[in-house]
Amino acid sequence: MNSLQKKIWVLAIVVLLIMTVIWVSLTYYNQKMQDQYNYVLERYLTLNELTSTSQNMITELNNYLVTPTSDHLELINTSKKKIEILKYDVMGHRNEANELALANYMNLIDSLVEATDRSVRLHEEPSSESSMIILKEATHISNYISEMTLTLIDLELKTFDPFYRGIITQSEGVKKLGFLVLSLIIILLLLFTYWFSIRITKPVKKLTEAASYLSKGRFDVKIEVDSRDEIAFLAQMFEQMRVNINNLISEIRQKAKLEQELQQSKLLLKESQLQRLQSQINPHFLFNTLNTLSKKAYMEGSEETSDLITSVADLLRYNLKHLDKNMTLIDEVNVLRDYMEIQKARFTDRLNFYVEMEETCLQVEIPGLTIQPIVENAVMYAVEPFEQGGVIWFRVKDGGDRVIIEVEDDGPGMSDETITQIMEERRDSQKGQTSGIGLSNVVKRLRLFNGCETVMEIESKVEGGTKVTIYLFKERR
Amino acid sequence: MRKIITFVTVIISIILFYFTINSAVDVFYADWQIPETTADHSIHNRIVLITRELDTPFWEKVSEGAKDQARNEGARLEVWGSYAGNQEDFLKQIDIAIYAKVDGIIVQGLGTDEFKELTKVKAASHGIPIITVANDVPMEESLRKTYVGSDHYLAGELIANQLIKDMGTAGQVIIMKDSKEQYYQKQRLSGIQDVLVNYPNIEFIVAESSESREDGVGTTKDLLNRHPNVNAFIAVNATFASHIVEEISRRTKVENYHIYSFDEDSASCLLLKQGTLDAMVEQSPKRMGERSVSLMMKWLKDGTEPLELDGYHTDIELVKAADVQ
Repeated sequence: MNSLQKKIWVLAIVVLLIMTVIWVSLTYYNQKMQDQYNYVLERYLTLNELTSTSQNMITELNNYLVTPTSDHLELINTSKKKIEILKYDVMGHRNEANELALANYMNLIDSLVEATDRSVRLHEEPSSESSMIILKEATHISNYISEMTLTLIDLELKTFDPFYRGIITQSEGVKKLGFLVLSLIIILLLLFTYWFSIRITKPVKKLTEAASYLSKGRFDVKIEVDSRDEIAFLAQMFEQMRVNINNLISEIRQKAKLEQELQQSKLLLKESQLQRLQSQINPHFLFNTLNTLSKKAYMEGSEETSDLITSVADLLRYNLKHLDKNMTLIDEVNVLRDYMEIQKARFTDRLNFYVEMEETCLQVEIPGLTIQPIVENAVMYAVEPFEQGGVIWFRVKDGGDRVIIEVEDDGPGMSDETITQIMEERRDSQKGQTSGIGLSNVVKRLRLFNGCETVMEIESKVEGGTKVTIYLFKERR
Repeated sequence: MRKIITFVTVIISIILFYFTINSAVDVFYADWQIPETTADHSIHNRIVLITRELDTPFWEKVSEGAKDQARNEGARLEVWGSYAGNQEDFLKQIDIAIYAKVDGIIVQGLGTDEFKELTKVKAASHGIPIITVANDVPMEESLRKTYVGSDHYLAGELIANQLIKDMGTAGQVIIMKDSKEQYYQKQRLSGIQDVLVNYPNIEFIVAESSESREDGVGTTKDLLNRHPNVNAFIAVNATFASHIVEEISRRTKVENYHIYSFDEDSASCLLLKQGTLDAMVEQSPKRMGERSVSLMMKWLKDGTEPLELDGYHTDIELVKAADVQ
């Protein structure tokens, strides 16, 4: 048996209890009233009976004196016995107020009985005259008894006057009490029922609300029902279901996101491969030609040109080979050196390239062709446009769990808008890029590679140079 | 809004609850009680005081004194009687008292044969002692144990002496008495006569009337017609005082007459205060009540010692109108 049922039971029992209490008290009161009325009425009745019996006895005595049969004598004796019994009853009604009158009354009755006895006795003797005189006397006494009865009843009325008034007042009190109890019970029951119905319907309402939220697809609203019945249990189960669904949905979302990312990186790769293929137009021919050019220049005594051509060839080879592979930093640095050789040959003194490296960091893995585009970008914007040239610093530092790679120039800097575009991987202009790979592409690949968002920082001041910092984690995540 | 409704409901509930509890307490703890039944013991010393004039202040005082004394001595006293001198009722009460087997009867004496029959034969045969109070019936006629009350002979003398003082030694005096041969009136009358006899110039006429108002007034009218020169009236029965005054005041000024009475009648006291009566004998009714009860108790306790047969006289005093005004 649980809550809801219990609640209904409680209501029923309370109502029953109230009804029982009212019934019991009313019955008790009625009984009391009846007893009291009986008590008073009985006094009058016994008193009256005694009086009428005594009067009857006079009649019987008269009958006996006229026709002296044993039947009549028997009747007189019966009356006498009855009077004795009734006297005893009446004596029980004695109280402070009526005791004198009652004593007189009793004595009068005694006198009557005595007179009757005397009359009967005298009648048995020959002189029946005197018995008639005594009958007359007895009649007088009987009249006195009647009068005394009236006096007694009068006294009783006086004595019981406050008693009667009390009973009447009490009756009125009971009437008033009845009204009050009725209204009190009505109010209490209304309150109780209100409270009771609220306790049942409120959780149901909450549950309904929660269900409608769920059906509308809102899984984030907590279901709370603070009752202690079946509804609460239901709500609890519902809440569990909601949490489970919520978890499932978020899991699915995560998976979908992951898949999307994977798709994206694949797309990027495809794109770069396509670009590489485009630029792979007869690479062997190109390399052979470049090699021939290099040897020719060497034989003609132009060693510098020969080196330059070799660098270009290496650079091209690297670009074509290792775009989709992870390389070590040292490979990247070597390619960078080749690239800088070529650019030095182009810009001569206008390009000042400074390298600071901690050799220990060079074995860290890095996506292919990551640094070259950044440096190329620096050359493009900080050196090429200016007659006096520019300075580019390349630094590799140990940053604890990561390797920090900085590329700094003293060019005109980038606008914040451009930086934001790069960081949000939106801008991908490939204009003039040797590898055909823009900064945005680099950022994208680095993020995929590192598995986190913070892979690159760009600090730039207008006319104050640009500093691009790349973080590479030593431990792949 | 909700708060207000809750508050009001709670207040109403509390008030209702309070009144309900109050009402319930009133109903279930009613302060009236059924009179308690007394233990079954017989009552001793039931004494009845019976008079014909329950309504007069004189007898009120007698019963007051008797009741006080009864309370002090542990007697159970009842005062019975009739009103306005109703003799039939009065005699019936005595009869009832005898049949009710009371222990003693204190009674206002009545000089009729029925009274004498009751006291002499019935009460005696039932062994109930009788004491007369205020008005006596001689022992030989009533077999009373004793008499408690004023010395009416002395009272008569007092009145007569006062009359002589007021009127002088010559004049005409009418003495009104009632037609029943009341012993106390005879005593008063003989008291008056014994004084007035010494003054030969005073003529006194003894008139009789019944106690009813018509007769009293009629008799007075008749007397005034027959004796126009009368100087004074003495009402031996106090009831007549007001009748005399009523008739005189119809004809002339009451002040012209000397009128004397006794204090048993409430009208007499009033007339004395008004100055209509010249003087009145004042008795000691309260003392009478006390004394009669104590003597009855003495008799009931120790029946062997006889009481003074001539009776025990209580104080009397002459009150003049001048003293009261």
